[in-house]
Amino acid sequence: MSLYVLEGLRPWVIQRVSAVYIVFFILYAVISFLTADTVSFQSWRLWLFQPLNTTVVGVFVIALLFHAWIGMRDVVLDYVHNIMLRIFILGLFIGVLLGSGLWVFRILLLSATGLVSQ
Amino acid sequence: MTVKFKIYRYNPEKDAEAYVQEYELEDIEPGMMLLAALLRIKDEQDETLSFRRSCGEGVCGSDGMNINGINGLACVTAIDGLKQPVEIKPLPGLPVIRDLIIDMDQFYKQYRAVKPYLVVNDPMPEVELKQTPQQREQLDGLYECVLCACCSTSCPSFWWNPDKFLGPAALLQASRFIEDSRDQDIENRLENLEGPFKLFRCHTIMNCVQVCPKGLNPTKAIGRIKHKMVKRSL
Repeated sequence: MSLYVLEGLRPWVIQRVSAVYIVFFILYAVISFLTADTVSFQSWRLWLFQPLNTTVVGVFVIALLFHAWIGMRDVVLDYVHNIMLRIFILGLFIGVLLGSGLWVFRILLLSATGLVSQ
Repeated sequence: MTVKFKIYRYNPEKDAEAYVQEYELEDIEPGMMLLAALLRIKDEQDETLSFRRSCGEGVCGSDGMNINGINGLACVTAIDGLKQPVEIKPLPGLPVIRDLIIDMDQFYKQYRAVKPYLVVNDPMPEVELKQTPQQREQLDGLYECVLCACCSTSCPSFWWNPDKFLGPAALLQASRFIEDSRDQDIENRLENLEGPFKLFRCHTIMNCVQVCPKGLNPTKAIGRIKHKMVKRSL
């Protein structure tokens, strides 16, 4: 794996597949929100607590992280020609994405195990 | 009809930087092509004006230039339909040698990189390599390219990475040989296009489709290559 993690064809396919998943997830989330009886932290937690929703949101986060990485990588490859600056920006973005991902998964884990405090 | 022109001028031997020169031509006949007007300017007003041209019929692809902001061939662009003053610049994204003449080395380098010729490993037959009409049809829309560079020099991805991204013209040629039933190097051709730069800098902006004077669709050809790569990887 090189500096351009995932290289050519693979990221192109992942970007498209993740985009389709994100669209379906947004539709599912909006419908779930609109059909909910009450809108509160507790109802949101109960919704997230359901194994199906925990899985769907988890996959959404992974798809979003990959999609964001590939999009940002493309912008950097197009516009940033200085190799050191390119490595710095890509490294920074990987850190931000991984940090965000771990944060979301912590929330999901705590929600799924019922450890979230109100 | 009288037509005004604003033409990009640059002679590295005496100009510190490029400038725009204005010309005015009288008695422009209906249906007259831009190349004919440029030749008249060169003959009647300014013999130092430099541009490439050859066949004058849209076949050789020599007189590609940026006409009112859009790349095209001067010999097949009618003056009637152009907004005045007609602004003419060299094709963007490649170094200017002089006036409307650009250095196309980078463009040809990318063209050569796709091996734009048939590769046959088997012993050649005594007669020609035959194709069915259906196999031949696969090459329609691919083989007609005249290498004028209008597409590649209108592509922002090519402007940003002209040394790494092959550009629409070279990729159209790559597709032309990948689709050829007689070629025996398709695996290597597809492998050669892998990586983040050579093919995948194409973001489907489609400027290439808009400007191609032969009405070709490099974006579609690039899509066909990607489709082949996906099928190959499965």
